[in-house]
Amino acid sequence: MSKLSAWVPAALARPFTAVGGVLFLLAAMLPWATFLLNDGAYPEKATLQFFDAPFELTGFRWHLLLFGAAAIVITFVPLPGKARVLRALGWGGLIIGLVGAIFIASEGGGLGAITAADGNTALGSIVALLGGIVLVLGATATGIEDLPHWPTRLGSSPIQQRLTAYVVLIVAFAGVLWLVSATLTAGGIGGAAFPYAGPIFLAYLGFAGGLLAALHGVGLARWISQLSEEHRAFSIVVLLACACALPFTEAGSQYWMQVAATIGVYAATAIGLNIVVGLAGLLDLGYVAFLGIGAFVAANLSGAAASSLGWDLPFPLAALIAAVVAGIFGAIVGSPTLRVRGDYLAIVTLAFGEIFYRSSQNNIGDLTGGSNSIPGIPPVTMFGTPFNEPFTLFGTELPTGVLYYFLIVVIVAIIMAVFANLKNSRIGRAWIAVREDEDAARAMGIRTGQVKILAFLVGAMLAGLAGAVFVHKLGTASYSSFQFLESVTLLAAVILGGMGTIPGAVLGASLLFVLPEKLREFDDYRLLVFGLALVFIMRFRPQGLVPDRIRRAEFAGETAEGKPIEEVEEQVVLEHEQAEHEAPSAPKEGKA
Amino acid sequence: MTTLLQQIANGLVLGATIGLIALGYTMVYGIIQLINFAHGEVFMVGAFGGLAVYRWVLPEDIRDDWYISLPAMLVGGVIIAIVVAVLMERLAYRPLRNAPRLAPLITALGVSVALQEAVRLWFPDATSAQAFPRVFVDAQIDIGPIAISASQLLLIVVSIVLAVLLQLYISKSRMGRAMRATSMDRDTARLMGVNPDRVIVLTFVLGAALAGVAGVLYGSNINLIANDIGFQNGIFAFTAAVLGGIGSLRGAVIGAFIIGLIKTLGGQYLPGGTDYDYVWIFVVLILVLVFRPQGLFGEVERMRA
Repeated sequence: MSKLSAWVPAALARPFTAVGGVLFLLAAMLPWATFLLNDGAYPEKATLQFFDAPFELTGFRWHLLLFGAAAIVITFVPLPGKARVLRALGWGGLIIGLVGAIFIASEGGGLGAITAADGNTALGSIVALLGGIVLVLGATATGIEDLPHWPTRLGSSPIQQRLTAYVVLIVAFAGVLWLVSATLTAGGIGGAAFPYAGPIFLAYLGFAGGLLAALHGVGLARWISQLSEEHRAFSIVVLLACACALPFTEAGSQYWMQVAATIGVYAATAIGLNIVVGLAGLLDLGYVAFLGIGAFVAANLSGAAASSLGWDLPFPLAALIAAVVAGIFGAIVGSPTLRVRGDYLAIVTLAFGEIFYRSSQNNIGDLTGGSNSIPGIPPVTMFGTPFNEPFTLFGTELPTGVLYYFLIVVIVAIIMAVFANLKNSRIGRAWIAVREDEDAARAMGIRTGQVKILAFLVGAMLAGLAGAVFVHKLGTASYSSFQFLESVTLLAAVILGGMGTIPGAVLGASLLFVLPEKLREFDDYRLLVFGLALVFIMRFRPQGLVPDRIRRAEFAGETAEGKPIEEVEEQVVLEHEQAEHEAPSAPKEGKA
Repeated sequence: MTTLLQQIANGLVLGATIGLIALGYTMVYGIIQLINFAHGEVFMVGAFGGLAVYRWVLPEDIRDDWYISLPAMLVGGVIIAIVVAVLMERLAYRPLRNAPRLAPLITALGVSVALQEAVRLWFPDATSAQAFPRVFVDAQIDIGPIAISASQLLLIVVSIVLAVLLQLYISKSRMGRAMRATSMDRDTARLMGVNPDRVIVLTFVLGAALAGVAGVLYGSNINLIANDIGFQNGIFAFTAAVLGGIGSLRGAVIGAFIIGLIKTLGGQYLPGGTDYDYVWIFVVLILVLVFRPQGLFGEVERMRA
C-alpha cells in the first residue's frame, strides 16, 4: 500500500475520498446491465432503470449506498484510523463492483452488457469500480496511521466498568451472530436452480469484508477482543449462547443447519491440526487420516448393518474410543519425529496418509467397507431422541439436523477449550518453543521428543472425535472422504485463517467449506482457484487472516506490535548508542 | 522363475520413468532445499505437450513414422515442461526465496493442484484419461523367457544415458561447477561471481527437460495419460530421491530402480497383491526416512554439502 500513496498528493486526499463516496452512491442507483438479466432476485429486478428511491434498494446496491454514504461522512468527520476505514470501504466497494462487472459481462456476452448496448446504458459496475479505486487512492494518500487504541475501562467504579464491558460484549457477539447468519444465507442455496447464488454471495463477501476491515481499522475489533480477553468466562458464555441461537435466526433451515454442522466438523478438525502445525510447527500432510480413523472406528462400533464387528455402543462411548484409537495412531505417526525433522517429517505424514487411504480403499481387515463404504450408520440417539429428526424447543419447531448442530457446537467448544488451555499451559509453551527453535528448546530442558509426540497425539484425538460425529451425521463412512486433497484443504484452512489461533482456524475452515457450497455453478474451477489461492496467500499474506502475534512476527518481518522489524532495530540501535554515550565508563567500573 | 524375471523387467521399466523425474527432485532440493511437489506435474504437462504435438502439429501422413514423430514429440514435451517449470520458479518460488521453509512447500502444493486442474479444464477432452499414440516401433523383444516391448527398452536406455550425461555435465562443465558451488553455499558462490538466480533457473530447466522426456516416453509406453499421473509418479520419484540420498544424482536413479522393483515384486509376492503395492512403497519411504534419512548414497557423493 505504501507505493499507492505516492500516486495522489496528500492535499488531494479529501476530494478523492469524497468523490469516491459519491461515485458509490451513483453506482448504487445506476442500472448495471443493458439487458433484462432476470425477473427475480439478481439483486434488483431487471437492473435496467435508474433507481430514484435510495431507501428501497436491497442487496449489493444497498451495501454500496451504505459504503458511499459512510465514505462521504467520514471524509469530513475526524475519526481515529480514518485512512484505514476509508481504505476498507474502498476495497469493499471495489470488490462489489468487480463481481458485478465480471458476472454481468460474462452472462451478457461481453463489455456491451455493462456499458451500452441496444439503446440502454448501464455503467453501474464501472462507476463502482472507479469509485473504489478513487477511494482507495485517496485514503492511502495521507499514509496509513497506527491502529487506534481504545480504553478498556469505561466508567468510574469497577461494577460500572464490568457492566459496560458486558453490554458491549453482548452487543458485539449479537452482531457476530447476525453476520454469521447473514453470511450463511446470503445468495441462497447455490446450484443449477439458482445461478445467481455465487455472484450475490461474492458481492456480499465484499461487503462483509469491507465492513469488518473498517471496524478493525477504527480500532473496534481490537477493543472488543481486549474486552473479551479481560472478561473471558463471560464472553465464552455469551459466545455459546449466540452459537445456540443460530437455529432461531434466518439461517435456521434444515439445509443451513446441515451446512453449519459440516463446517463445525471441519472447524474442529482444523483446530486439532492447528495444534500440530500452528503450535508445534510440525507440518502434517496426512492429517485427514485421523479424521478417517475416528470415522471408521465409530462406524464399526455403532451398529451399522454393514460393519463386520456388529457392536452397538452408545455414541459418547463410541466417540471416546474413536478418539483414543486415533490418538494412538497419532502417537505412532508422530514417533518418527524423534529422528526426522522439517520437510522430511511432512513426507512421513504424507506417506502415512496415503497408506491409510490405500488400505481403507482395499477394505483392510474388513473394517472399512472398501469401495462399498459402510452405509446405514444409525443416527446418534441421546435422551431417547434420534438426532436426524426435527426437534421442538420452547415451542419452536426446529428443523432436521439441528441436534447435530448443537452436538457439534458442544464439541467445537470442548476442542476450543482444550486448545486454549493447552496453548497457555506449560505444554503449549513447550510446543511453541520447539516450533521456534528445537535445539534451543532442548537446551532449555524441554523433552522435545515427548512434546512433539504429544502434539501429534492430542491433534489426532481431536480429529478422531470430530470423525465420530462426521460419520454419524453423514450416515456413511467412505474412504473417498479422506483423500490427500482433504489434508491439503485442512492445512489451507489453518494457514488461511492464521496459524496458532482459534478464530483463524474456524474462519479458515468456514471459508473453505462455505465457498464451494455457494459457488456450485463454478464447481469445475474450485480446485484450480484453490491451488492458485494457496500460492497467492503464501505470497501476499503468509501470516493468514487472523494472525497469531508471534507468528506474524515470524512471517511478515514485523514485531508483535505490528511494526516493521527494521524500524524497531533502528530504534534499538539508537537507544543503545545513546546509552553508551551517556555512560561510557560503566563497563570498566563494573570490572573493577 | 519366468514371472520373477518378467516382474523384474517391469520394475526396471517403471524405475526408469521414476528415475528421470527423481533427478529433477533431487537437483532442486540440492540447490534450494525445496521439495518441489509440482515437479510431478511438470512430468504430466510434458506428456500432454507431446500428445498436443502429435495431435495438432504433426501432419497426418508423416506422424506414424516414429523417427519423425518421436523426436518432434520429445522436443514439444520438453519445451512445454521447461516453460512451465521456469514460470513456476519465477512467479511462485523466487518471491519466497527468503521466507520460512513452510511457505514454499505450501506454494508447491498449490502449484501442483493448480497445474493438474488447468490441464483437466483446458486441455481438450482431458477431463478423462487420454489415449496416447504408441510412437516408437511396435515390436516385442524376447530376451530369454521375458518379453519386453521396444518402447520399454527405449525408456530404460534413454533414462540411463540421460542420467550419465547429467552427471557428466554437473561434474565437468563450468555451469555444473557453478551449480555445485551454489548448492554448497549460495552467498560464497555469489562472491565468486556465480549468479545464483541463473543457476537456480538452469536447475529447474534441466529437471523439467528430463521430466518432459519421461512424460512423452511414459505416454508412448503406457498409451494412456491422465491429469493425475503426475501426483502418483511424483510421489514415487520423491521416494526414490530420498531413498538414494537426496542431492545425489546416482542415488536418485538407483533409488528409482529399487522403488520400481518394490512396486512390481511387492504386488506379485507380498500379501494383498497389487492392491497394496503402493503401500509398500510408502512403508519403505517411512523406514528409510526414520532409519537412514541421508539415504543410501547420502553424504558420500552429494551435490550439496
